[in-house]
Amino acid sequence: MPENKKPKYWRSLGELEGTPEFEQFLRQEFPEAAEVAPTGMPRRRWMQLMGASLALATGAAGCRYPEEEVVGFRYPEEEIAPFSRRPEGRIPGKPEKFATTLTVAGKACPVVATSYDGRPIKIDGNQLHPMVAGADTYSQATLLHLYDPDRSQYPVIREGSSENKRSWDEFAVWWKEQSKKLEGGNSSKLAILHQTNTSPSVLTQMNEVAKKFPQAKWFQYESITGNTTLGTELAFGKKLRPLLNLEAADIIVDLSADLLGSHVTHGVNNQGFAKRRAPEDGPMSRLYVVESRFSVTGIAADHRLAVAASQMPSFIADLEQKLEAALESGETKEKPAEKIDIVITAMVNDLVSHKGKSLVVGGESLDAETQARIWRINNKLENFGKTVTFIEEPKLARDNVGTIEELAAAMNAGEVDTIIFLGGNPLYDAPADVDFIAAMDKTATQVYYGDYETETSKKSTWHLPASHGLEQWGDAIAYDGSYCVAQPLISPIFETKDPIEFLSLIAGSAISETLEAVKQTVATSFSSSVTEAAWTKVVHDGFIADSAPEAVSVTVNDSLDLGEVSVATWRAGLGTAYELIFHPGAGTYDGRYANNGWLQELPEPITKVTWDNVVTVSPKTAEEIGVKQAELMEVSANGKTVRLPVYIQPGQAHGTLAVGLGYGRTHAGAVGGNVDEDIAPVGVDVGPLRTKASMNLATGVTVKPTGKEFKLATTQDHFAIDLLGMREIGRRVEELVREGTVEEYEHHPDFAKHIVHLPPNGDLWEEQAWMKESYDGHAWGMSIDLTKCTGCNACTIACQSENNIPIVGKEAVSVGREMHWIRVDRYFSGDMEDPKAVSQPVTCQQCETAPCESVCPVAATVHSDEGLNDMVYNRCIGTRYCGNNCPYKVRRFNYLDWRASDHRFEAGNQELAKLIFNPEVTVRNRGVMEKCTYCVQRIQNTKIEAKADRRAIGPNEIQVACQEACASNAIEFGDLNNPESNVAKAHANPRSYSMLAELNTKPRTRYLARITNPHPWLASEVEDHHGHGHGESEHTHAEGDHADDDHAHEKEEEKH
Amino acid sequence: MATVNEVIDTTIDDPGNRTPLVIGGHDYGSITRLVCGINESKTPIAWYIGMLMSLSLLGMLGALVGYLIFTGVGVWGNNNPVYWGFPIVNFVFWVGIGHAGTLISAILFIFRQNWRTSINRFAEAMTIFAVVCAGLFPAIHIGRVWVFYWLFPLPSLQLAMWPQFRSPLLWDVFAVSTYATVSLIFWYTGMIPDLATLRDRTNNKILRIVYSILSLGWTGSARAWSRYEKAYTLFAALAAPLVLSVHTIVSFDFAVSQLPGWHTTIFPPYFVAGAVFSGFGMVLTLMVPARQWFGLKDVVTLRHLENVCKILLATGSMVGYAYAMEFFIAWYGGNMYEQFAFINRAFGPYWWAYWIMVSCNVISPQLFWFKKCRTTPWLMFVISIFVNIGMWFERFVITVTSLARDFLPSSWGMFEPTPVDYGMLIGSFGLFFTLFLLFVRFGPIVAMAEVKSVMPHPHSPVHDDPHAAADHA
Repeated sequence: MPENKKPKYWRSLGELEGTPEFEQFLRQEFPEAAEVAPTGMPRRRWMQLMGASLALATGAAGCRYPEEEVVGFRYPEEEIAPFSRRPEGRIPGKPEKFATTLTVAGKACPVVATSYDGRPIKIDGNQLHPMVAGADTYSQATLLHLYDPDRSQYPVIREGSSENKRSWDEFAVWWKEQSKKLEGGNSSKLAILHQTNTSPSVLTQMNEVAKKFPQAKWFQYESITGNTTLGTELAFGKKLRPLLNLEAADIIVDLSADLLGSHVTHGVNNQGFAKRRAPEDGPMSRLYVVESRFSVTGIAADHRLAVAASQMPSFIADLEQKLEAALESGETKEKPAEKIDIVITAMVNDLVSHKGKSLVVGGESLDAETQARIWRINNKLENFGKTVTFIEEPKLARDNVGTIEELAAAMNAGEVDTIIFLGGNPLYDAPADVDFIAAMDKTATQVYYGDYETETSKKSTWHLPASHGLEQWGDAIAYDGSYCVAQPLISPIFETKDPIEFLSLIAGSAISETLEAVKQTVATSFSSSVTEAAWTKVVHDGFIADSAPEAVSVTVNDSLDLGEVSVATWRAGLGTAYELIFHPGAGTYDGRYANNGWLQELPEPITKVTWDNVVTVSPKTAEEIGVKQAELMEVSANGKTVRLPVYIQPGQAHGTLAVGLGYGRTHAGAVGGNVDEDIAPVGVDVGPLRTKASMNLATGVTVKPTGKEFKLATTQDHFAIDLLGMREIGRRVEELVREGTVEEYEHHPDFAKHIVHLPPNGDLWEEQAWMKESYDGHAWGMSIDLTKCTGCNACTIACQSENNIPIVGKEAVSVGREMHWIRVDRYFSGDMEDPKAVSQPVTCQQCETAPCESVCPVAATVHSDEGLNDMVYNRCIGTRYCGNNCPYKVRRFNYLDWRASDHRFEAGNQELAKLIFNPEVTVRNRGVMEKCTYCVQRIQNTKIEAKADRRAIGPNEIQVACQEACASNAIEFGDLNNPESNVAKAHANPRSYSMLAELNTKPRTRYLARITNPHPWLASEVEDHHGHGHGESEHTHAEGDHADDDHAHEKEEEKH
Repeated sequence: MATVNEVIDTTIDDPGNRTPLVIGGHDYGSITRLVCGINESKTPIAWYIGMLMSLSLLGMLGALVGYLIFTGVGVWGNNNPVYWGFPIVNFVFWVGIGHAGTLISAILFIFRQNWRTSINRFAEAMTIFAVVCAGLFPAIHIGRVWVFYWLFPLPSLQLAMWPQFRSPLLWDVFAVSTYATVSLIFWYTGMIPDLATLRDRTNNKILRIVYSILSLGWTGSARAWSRYEKAYTLFAALAAPLVLSVHTIVSFDFAVSQLPGWHTTIFPPYFVAGAVFSGFGMVLTLMVPARQWFGLKDVVTLRHLENVCKILLATGSMVGYAYAMEFFIAWYGGNMYEQFAFINRAFGPYWWAYWIMVSCNVISPQLFWFKKCRTTPWLMFVISIFVNIGMWFERFVITVTSLARDFLPSSWGMFEPTPVDYGMLIGSFGLFFTLFLLFVRFGPIVAMAEVKSVMPHPHSPVHDDPHAAADHA
């Protein structure tokens, strides 16, 4: 976070007391709320929403903590009165930032939440924490759940077919009775199933529960898991967590690890990797990627090989063998003939010649033996302690925790009478050969504690609502083992409890206040007495600074026997056999985010598909099978069949099919699907195909085309592109996304500027203030480094959250009405089977001579003196002419009222959800054009602050939302007239170029050409692919005078 | 009269003699009876049927407009690259049709083309109604219809500022509204003597009051005629440049943008030629059945129709030239985006629209090289329908195909019209025909006074005698 905006902490809990501003806000913002139900909304739904708003009103205004009882009325009525004395440091209407910790997809995420008058409105990464860089899409989008009216709001009991609202009191009374039955010897009848636990305090409470029910059985289940600890156990005899240091690595070999995408530490990986990918900042690292499906890491790769998932072990064994040979006899000097051999030989040579400065990483889903092999490879390359270190896996679960199969067996055997689910959704995501539904029927009572109604909760006796991460105190262990604290940003909106409260209720233990429980954990784990000042700092920072454990030194087991793995099979390919990879759904993870509209509408980085999961197949495989793009295909594995739409994915390994998990939820909510209310599920549940043995990869898959077309909603290539169009795209991409090798860069650092011939351009209009050389005010500009961008989408979500961008639903996306202000364009080039891919974030370029401005009849889009192409939403009447005239097509039009319409995503946009809005940004009406304005609200706020403080704005003080979220710092923003600013430096970088500069738009956003660092053997091939061999083009011809120096160097050489 | 018609072939040019513009041995009185008879006779059943159909379509249009206003412009198929779809296509289409009337009455008047008198009233009415249809679309196509008046330079405190005068859309507002106003006044001015005729003849009290008001107390005095002639000439002079300016400015909506396929300097003349082409196409579509049903064959002779066909042939060829020239310049100009835009038009996903346009607009009018086609009413009618279709597709091709694929391939898209799009297109014909049917029922559809002025003088009976005329031939 910027230096001037130190995260603030809650000095006293009294600060949370009812704020009259908020009350007033509620009344002003929703004056009509109680009067009319929007048309098209079922009455029941409306009542729910109303209930939500009212609960919010009292909940947020009421004090959360004093006189709280475990059992009892939690939210005492309080008089709402204005502050007679304003609490110190509190300025109404001024956003404050608080550090906290969320558990996102089973991992602890230290975050900073921005709170506006008591409402959290944005989540960013806590950049103070060493394991945080930028903010990933899941953690940012978690915010949407806080205001989701579908979130469980009160305890529910299900008896037979009836479903009744209950209070926590009633549950407590019931549980008291129930626990009497389970006391002593009967406690073996109790089973508890939980997900991956990240919290030491929760573990303490689990132990309390275990004390009360000593024979209770404990189980843990996570639908998406890796074998990392198994691999380290095999290799080193210990359960370890590897910590990668990509910055220290000259050569990185990613073996389906997706280091920059779905990898557990992708944020810091991106950060470290990006530091080594700026050719002007020293030698670049080289990235080899071997994977089965195209990942964002594949986009960033210098060389990429597609190998079938089941053959990765064979490939890795082969790699090890070749490495051993090379380590003994030195590098291979001769360049092989086949491309595939060139890549492997180059990889081996590079690894051997960069001992101690290389890194080989395997995917988490690879089997333990293969992972152990990879650690052995790293050991041989002397990478331990240099590019990879290890810490002990923190102990956050009880001993002897069973698996889901064991649980199901116990249930089927009638050993379980009462089962408590701590989150999770086994009915949806348990392996298909574990018949969990049948097992559930064998238990008498089920208690489901979780934040949403799920398939599992619907079959449970009790459903008890869990608090949102931003509503609770808590703690968690981050990936590096450091201790992080969570603090509440808002009182629970609904009648929910946090896990510590819930478990203490189950245990009947003494601890009633979560805060005390957390403090106690800190006291027992870190220091015997926590001073107020020390505690304050912990809450302020969100973590204890030096709490991460020391790295352990490791030695590979001498007796490591990994069995025989054929080193040849991977070359043979799969033949006619097919296999299916199950990967976390881009928008859903394992299904837990299925009801998150932001994530559902976020285009999958490679396919650009929204609101669906697809089965990706390589073009060759598709031809073999005889399926077309977007055709429904029957995929059978393990005796079950599902129908999935096909997405033909260039660069996927032959025979390997891949599909995202977490779709096809039947009880997710109004966004993700709820069959009880006739809301069709989003996507297809592929759970039936997954068995215990094939949770990540199913082999022996059979497929059958159906010939039926399916409508996919993609944000790029909305419609199939004909040959004519494909050819044109091929021609244009090299001009739009300029790319060169590091060698080309060294010869001609400014090669990117010369790819397009720029004729002398004159201006039709008189020179405006912001174009004049004499202009010395702020000149806002942006740069986007295409070398660093992987296309991960974090910027898109950040922008959506910051700028109140609505979701529009599948139907609207499929006709091309998505609203994202920043989109990530993805282009493929080269061979269909072995393509290169590039990604290019595109948002408003803030043209100095903006084509949109001159055509607007009502002057709704006008230029500011500081160079912003501003939108005056109030004036816009929606002629859409600006959109037509924008060559970058970054303008977005509100074709319908995305907020009040009776679409299926209403829940994401309704009354309660309005609280998520950033009050600094106008919420756009239907019929209005909108677009990026470089987060003008942030610029203005900083300007006001600086003016009040009588100081200049720091060179990099203003951070725009997309920039903040970018882990690899690909986006820079600032004042071009301040030579100290990163953006001014980036614009001065010889790699910088303006997209479509030939139109004389003079964009304020410039791209830095993408530089790759291919192995010299393969450099020529890369150049051929992107064939702008400007190396030999020396003929420059100066052309006409140009007012703007910034643009003067953009227009010399001719493309050839 | 029918027998007489067969005898005289007005389509033969006789260098020694002017072909009569009115045949059938009419005198002033019979012309008045002929034209007024259309209004005064009992309303035919066919009119009611036609009116019912038109009103139904108009009702549908009204319902759709209401739906649109209450729901948002998302009811159309417009999307992110294709921000303009059917509404703008329909707008340009109707404005184009609205060109023929004023061209006939003003420009042909100035050039002393006396044959125009038989068809000008009819064509002008068509113009006015087409402009009404055209005016509807820009008004409803904006996102916030309820503030459409912000487009006008109103000195309002609420707006606190003028519109943005650099925008072609604003010029468009001025061009179309000026054209509509002048055309309306011009049409009305020309109608005053005929309205007075209707006033004097009608037995219906209400109609008499209405006609009395509309005819502004016309007495037919020499002074009235003198004023009238002056006013008419002035309006003709005023309207003539507008005929050229309005579609020129409509074309600026496209040409001033920088979209490949829109950004071309040929657009103004090309649009004007296209507009005249489509306007005359519609004149023919309406005139051929009307002269049949209303028994106007003596006034609107075959020669009139032939002249219209000749104009269609000329303007159709101009349009064809423009199509060819667009391609040539795209190649010659060396702008690759431009080149792709045109190749994409002809061979991309919208190839069918492009080739419909070419076949209807360029190929079908070439049939008018054959005299048989120029003199066979049903053939003309068929070709005129093709011209109407072709001209609608021309606007579709220009608007949609250029937008669908512009600079960044990542943003390419396709436009898929919704039922509302189709409904509004069809409904706009309902509006047009409703107005038109009302006019033919209650208004003087032929400019009687003007037709009389081109008839042979009553006391030189030689021209009145069809046999004599035939002898001359």
